[in-house]
Parts: sequence; C-alpha cells; structure tokens
Amino acid sequence: MITVEHLRKEFTYYKKMTGIKGSLHNIFHRESLTKEAVRDISFSVEKGEMIGFLGPNGAGKTTTLKMLAGILYPTGGKIEVDGFIPWERRNEFKRRISIVMGQKNQLWWDLPASDSFYLNKCIFGVDDGSYRDIIVELSELLEVKELLNVQVRRLSLGERMKMEILAALIHRPDILFLDEPTIGLDILSQKKIREFLKIYNAQWKTTVIVTSHYMADIEALCDRAVIINQGRLVYDGKLGEVNQLLGKRKLLSVKTSCPVDMEGWRAFGMVREVSAAGAVLEVPQEKVQEILAAILSGLQVEDFTVTEIPIEEGIARFYQKEAAEI
Amino acid sequence: MSSYRCVFLMGVEQALEYRVSSFPIIIQTAMWNYLYGHSDAAAIFGYQQGEILLYTLLATLVSQLVSTGFEWEMNSDIKMGGLNKYLIRPVGYTGYQFFRFLGQKVPRVMVIVPVMAAIIGLAFWQGMPVSAGRVLAFLVSLGLALLLNFSIFYCVGLLGFWLTDVDKLFGTISVVLTVASGGVFPLDIFGGMVEILVNLLPFGYTAQFPVNIINGRFGWARIGAGIAFQIGWIFFFACLGNVMWRRGLKRYAAVGG
Repeated sequence: MITVEHLRKEFTYYKKMTGIKGSLHNIFHRESLTKEAVRDISFSVEKGEMIGFLGPNGAGKTTTLKMLAGILYPTGGKIEVDGFIPWERRNEFKRRISIVMGQKNQLWWDLPASDSFYLNKCIFGVDDGSYRDIIVELSELLEVKELLNVQVRRLSLGERMKMEILAALIHRPDILFLDEPTIGLDILSQKKIREFLKIYNAQWKTTVIVTSHYMADIEALCDRAVIINQGRLVYDGKLGEVNQLLGKRKLLSVKTSCPVDMEGWRAFGMVREVSAAGAVLEVPQEKVQEILAAILSGLQVEDFTVTEIPIEEGIARFYQKEAAEI
Repeated sequence: MSSYRCVFLMGVEQALEYRVSSFPIIIQTAMWNYLYGHSDAAAIFGYQQGEILLYTLLATLVSQLVSTGFEWEMNSDIKMGGLNKYLIRPVGYTGYQFFRFLGQKVPRVMVIVPVMAAIIGLAFWQGMPVSAGRVLAFLVSLGLALLLNFSIFYCVGLLGFWLTDVDKLFGTISVVLTVASGGVFPLDIFGGMVEILVNLLPFGYTAQFPVNIINGRFGWARIGAGIAFQIGWIFFFACLGNVMWRRGLKRYAAVGG
C-alpha cells in the first residue's frame, strides 16, 4: 500500500541576526543554512495496517507525513502510496487519502461542523445515502450527535478534534494520516479518540498512520511502531520491545509537606530527583498503585502526578542498549 | 461545480453571522456640505454640490460592494499551513476563494442594492440623465469591477508566499487602492496627467468607472472603451495570479507549511 525508500527532506533557511543592525546586514548578505529534517528513511505499510510514528518534537514525523500526503516535495528518495506519487497531487489520489492535523483545523470556524461536512460531501462527490449513513454512524461512535449543529468555535478542543476526524472520513479514504490527534486533549477525550480509531480501523480496514509523542497513543492503537529521531529511522518493528524501554515504567512525582531524605524515598523505588519539597521516582507501571498507596499512608503527601518517561529519554536508552549489544 | 455552489452558500451563511456595516458616507456628506456651504462658487473642481454628493454616495457604495478581505485569510493560510487542507482535497483554491467571496457578498448586496436604487431614482427625479441603457451598462461594469477587484486582491494575497510580514502592507494597499479607485472622491478633479493615469491604471475601473456611467459623466464611446479596459485588466490579473500561484506553491511545498 505504501512504500517509502531512502526518503530525504532538506529545508533551506536564512540565518538572521537579531536587531535592526542584523536586518540591515541581512539585506546585503544572507547566510543560507540547510536543515536535514528527514535523512534516508525507508519502510513499507500493508493495507489495513495501523502503524505509529513515534519520536520527540522536531524528529521529522510530521515532515514525513506531509510528504506521504503530497503536501511537501521530498528532496530525495521515492514514495508510492496506493500506486500514486503523492506530490503529483492527482485528484484520484486525493480521493483515497485523508489527513488530520492536531494543531490545524479544517472546519469553518463560524459555522456548525455539519456545514463543513456537507462541503466535504460536495467536494468528494459522496452520494446522499452514504453521506447520511456515515454521519449517523460516526457521530454516534464519537458521541457528537448533539453537537453537529453547534458553531465550531463554541466546541471544546476535544469535541472539535472529533469533528475534524469525522470530517476527514466522509469520503471513506483508504488511507488516513493522523498527525498528533490527541495533542492537548484531556485523558478522557484522548481515550475516546483512541477507541474510535481502533474500532474504525478494524471495521473499515483503513490503513492508518498516526504520529504522536505520547507513548500511550501508539500503545493503544498500533502493533507496529516506527521510531524516528533526528530525521533517522531508529526502530521499526513490534511494539513489544519498545514497550520494555519506554512504556512499562512510569514517573511518579510526589510533593510532601515535610522534607523526606534520600533514604526515605529509596524505600519506595528508584529515585531520580529529590528536594526539600518532594521527589521524582521511577517505578514499574504495574507497581504504581501499590507504591502510591504505601507513600500516601507513610508520608504527608500534598500532591502527586504519574507521567510517562519522556520519549527523548526512552530513545536515548534505546541507543545505549544498541551500543551495548555491539 | 456542486462543491463551489456549496462554498458559495456557506459564504452567504458565514457573512450573515457577522452583520457589520460601517457608514463613512455620513462623514463624507457632512464634509462636502461644509465645503460647498463655505464657498461662493457654485461648482468646486467642476462638480456641482449635488453632483459631488451623488458621486460620493455611489462611489462609497460601489467600493463597499467590491471590497475584499480574503487576502488576510490567504496570507494566514500560506503562513500557518492552512493551505494544506486545500492541497489534499480535490478542489481548486482560486475557485474556492472566489465562490466564497461571492457568497459573502450576497447579504451586503441585499442591503446596498435597494439603497443604490433609491439614490439613482432620486437623481433621476432631480433631472440626472439616467436611462435604461445606462443602468444596464452600469450593472455590467459593476459585475466586471467585482471580478477585477477580486483578481487584484487575489494577487495581493498571494504576496504572502514571498513576504514575511504583510500586516501593515495589506492595510496600506487597501487604503491606497480605495483612494486610487476613486472610491473616496472623484479623481478627475485633479485633471491632466492624473486623469490620464487613472484611465490607464486598473484601479479606477473598480469604483470610479461604474459611477461615471450612471451619473452621466461618460459618453457611450468612453463606456465601451472602459469596459474593454476592465476585461483586459481582469485577464491580466488572472494570468498574473496564475503564475504567482504556481511559483508560490513550489516555494510553499519546498519550505513547508
């Protein structure tokens, strides 16, 4: 369905010195710099597969996705999506794909989402019957049936994201690209969107590529993960192994009202940071509850949070492991 | 075509959400009344008081009718990557902006047209040489003025591909072009070179020209020549826009949105 070979993308930009003096200098002399956003990435995706692009901000995930959708021309390498070369932007190709960007909106801001859906119906030439069916089906699945006629700007971020996804699916694309679909959403909305994508993919056999820097997204949705860091493909394979490194451990930040020393914290788990106000512990995911219960009963806790290990760190560990094996 | 019809209707709907109207007309009327009231001459710059009032009223209405605003949105589409959503859908960006522009005009047309008709009727009653032929020529030139202004500002919007900071520039362009179109006062009061320049440049054809048809200042020969100029300029800006769009898109796709 999708083949990518030795894909590269370079951006050229100009260095600008700060201040007016810098601006004047720039008029006469501009130093051009090249940034390699994607360097030699190759992979392929089968029909109906759901894969996750994982990587820190600026890793090249979105750039790769944009090249797959035909928004950007690559600097080098080959892409074939469903037999098409994306950046030729043929209408036949556009009818087969869809892209949802977590930080961009495609809906008309001042009008209800249903108007934007109808526009998409017209643009893609979807017939009345299947249009009605899909709206009913998807709005029920996404639980937005009551909100279809509310102005988009009055919707919450999570509701809007659901509408964006619905709008992207009106023409039943064969391939769906999702760029950070859960960014900035609360846990419940994130969960709802993940559940929806899972059901949709299973039911319609749509090929899905989703980027995220939340491990939880990829974990919930994909069997296969592609990890990208600094424009390079670091890992492509089953999620299981990555999970060992990234997903199965959590960070537990605890604030206490009276100071606890290093030894005191060590009793609960691996200590990563300690201060007078509290500490950050790294603990196995399955033990979070147990350890938290022990801390809550043993110490005077003011506040606590449980977070994932940052993806950057996970990738660094990944490198370390590879180096050790060689 | 059905997708453009849909964009058009959504444009109408969107414009109805914002019912703003400004009336700089009142200020201008007051200004001219004052000038004529404090002058001994019956005609200033070759215009009688009634003529200048008629011109100001009509020119302001025509300016409002053809005025744009989509250039700001085009710029933000280009800068913030909003263009992506058009690139990945089987729809043309120019057509999309054009039909949306037309759609958003509809509510304004419904307000402006009756007012304009009343003014023209009043002028006729006062003895202005308004005829069926002139009204028809006026309507044709008005339609062409709308097209011309769209194509000019479409090119202005496309400047966003090359210029980093257009905020002040767009404001300036808009003000300068409104004046250069004769939308504020008649430019033939300057006479000589300025008048020749106005006749050659495209801007006067977006406001001053239609008004000069209906108020009877232009004869049929000038009306015919003017309409030919309008069509010529529309063609010019359509071609320019086409080239700018293709070049700009290449640039956009190279640097990313």
